[in-house]
Amino acid sequence: MDEFEFSRSVTVGQYIPGDSVVHRMDPRAKIIAFMIIIAGVITTPSYIGNAIAFGFVLGLIVLSRLPISYLAGGIRPVVPIIVVFTVFNFLFLGNYDPTGSAVLWRQPLAIGPYEFAFTVTDNSMRQTAQGVFRIFDLILLSSLLTLTTPITLLSKAVESLLAPFRRFRVPGHEIAMILAIAYRFMPTVAEELERLMKAQASRGADFGRPGRLRFVQRTRQLIPVTVPLFVAAFRRAEDLILAMEARCYVGGAGRSAVHLGRLAGRDWSGLAAAVVFTGALWRVPFPL
Amino acid sequence: MTEPAIEIRDLWHWYLRGTPLESVALRGASFTLAAGEVVGVMGHTGSGKSTLVQHFNALLRPHRGSVRVFGQDLADRNFDPRPLRRRVGLLFQFPEQQLFDPTVADDIAFGPRKHGCDRAEVRRRVTRAMELVGLPFEIFKDRYTFGLSGGELRKVALAGVLALEPEILVLDEPTAGLDPRARRELLAALRGLHDRDGTALVFVSHNMDEVAELVDRVDVLANGTTVLSGPVREVFREQARLQELGLGVPTATEVAAAVRERGIALRGDVLTVNDAVEAMWTSSNSAAV
Repeated sequence: MDEFEFSRSVTVGQYIPGDSVVHRMDPRAKIIAFMIIIAGVITTPSYIGNAIAFGFVLGLIVLSRLPISYLAGGIRPVVPIIVVFTVFNFLFLGNYDPTGSAVLWRQPLAIGPYEFAFTVTDNSMRQTAQGVFRIFDLILLSSLLTLTTPITLLSKAVESLLAPFRRFRVPGHEIAMILAIAYRFMPTVAEELERLMKAQASRGADFGRPGRLRFVQRTRQLIPVTVPLFVAAFRRAEDLILAMEARCYVGGAGRSAVHLGRLAGRDWSGLAAAVVFTGALWRVPFPL
Repeated sequence: MTEPAIEIRDLWHWYLRGTPLESVALRGASFTLAAGEVVGVMGHTGSGKSTLVQHFNALLRPHRGSVRVFGQDLADRNFDPRPLRRRVGLLFQFPEQQLFDPTVADDIAFGPRKHGCDRAEVRRRVTRAMELVGLPFEIFKDRYTFGLSGGELRKVALAGVLALEPEILVLDEPTAGLDPRARRELLAALRGLHDRDGTALVFVSHNMDEVAELVDRVDVLANGTTVLSGPVREVFREQARLQELGLGVPTATEVAAAVRERGIALRGDVLTVNDAVEAMWTSSNSAAV
């Protein structure tokens, strides 16, 4: 593994060309289908339901013919957060369990004047497991959406989906533009971060591991990187403004653009599949 | 014969290896640097120059082939790169973008402080580095970093690397985007550093005139491999080959070639204006004689 290769972990905002079913689906239908799937994935309460949802997400990745190992690379950076979050959920969530489910384990603790307890209930354990599944599902699904759709099409689709809300003064074009810019620059910022860390390491900075949990040291180590990173971000934003002004950009009004066309049979069947999956997840009472 | 300071054989490197975005940057490049030598690395954009030099201080590890720096094998996973990064200083392209401390002296002191130097030693190194690049310590030490001019910022960044007192200094396009005067000052500072301290310099550049002026030996990269390597005078003789690779030759060499085409016998190794003048005077049939 190369010490400074961060672009490897940024799978959101990249686009990998391909001609799988997922790639070819109309971006509007794809966004809606993904939203429906996400609704199903994040509301299913049972262990089996979550496992099935995770399996479905993996199935989608197989269908897109993107290498699973590459998408898994996008999960790696959040693993420490998930670990901390899971440990806390597991130990403490039971204390606030309103459902009154069975207490599986309880350990009161007192440190000086502070008293608290570790509690694990049936319900809190389920929620802990769900949390992990849901984060994985969400990261994989959102990476999958951007990896299979070019940014221009994605922002165009967002704009056209927001078009009906124009009468309520929702600035669809502007929102789409902001999304497109944010996605577009994620890999750029990752490259910039890589360059800066290399440059600072070359003049003596040490980004070694001060122990996973020593946040203060970690943050202090990163100051030589974060300051120039922000400076560069502001400079880039200013350049972008100039470039847009120089091209007489005035927002959405009266702009001609890529025409997305009508939804094809493939798009409708994709939507139908998403609806069926989510409906099934909701309707089936899983035993566990 | 002692072992060279840097010895690279058949080096391969891939970016984002094992992902759909994989791209190969080096395909069997080689490079050697003796202690105290001044070497230029030339090549077209995307030829792998920057990737090659990032192996010198173990920012990148070899994917295939061997990299030995000061006798240590960088392919060894257990090798700790940090002591090496103090001996091999690397100045990136547009290094002014890496400054972060509000005052000049504090930014330059970053390296020595990380090194664990005491206050007096940090002060000595910062003063020396600043004098070397032509920023008088007393005048510039408390200046606000982000209020300096482009050329001054570049010098501060260079001083930040020099404060580590490296034995080998690698510069990736150090003069890109500087005005002629800042460019001359920077080159003079580098020359002085080499002459006084015997620091070895590796100079990555597009600018043939600078290469001709500063370095003793040149390596030319194309498409990730070393295609030409040798003393400057010999490499610049291969004008046709260089142009084919999308590189030029120094202006003086170009002019000398044009003069030669007009039937005036000039030597083939004219690199600088001084060479050209001398060649004109010593030519058997030049109008100047």
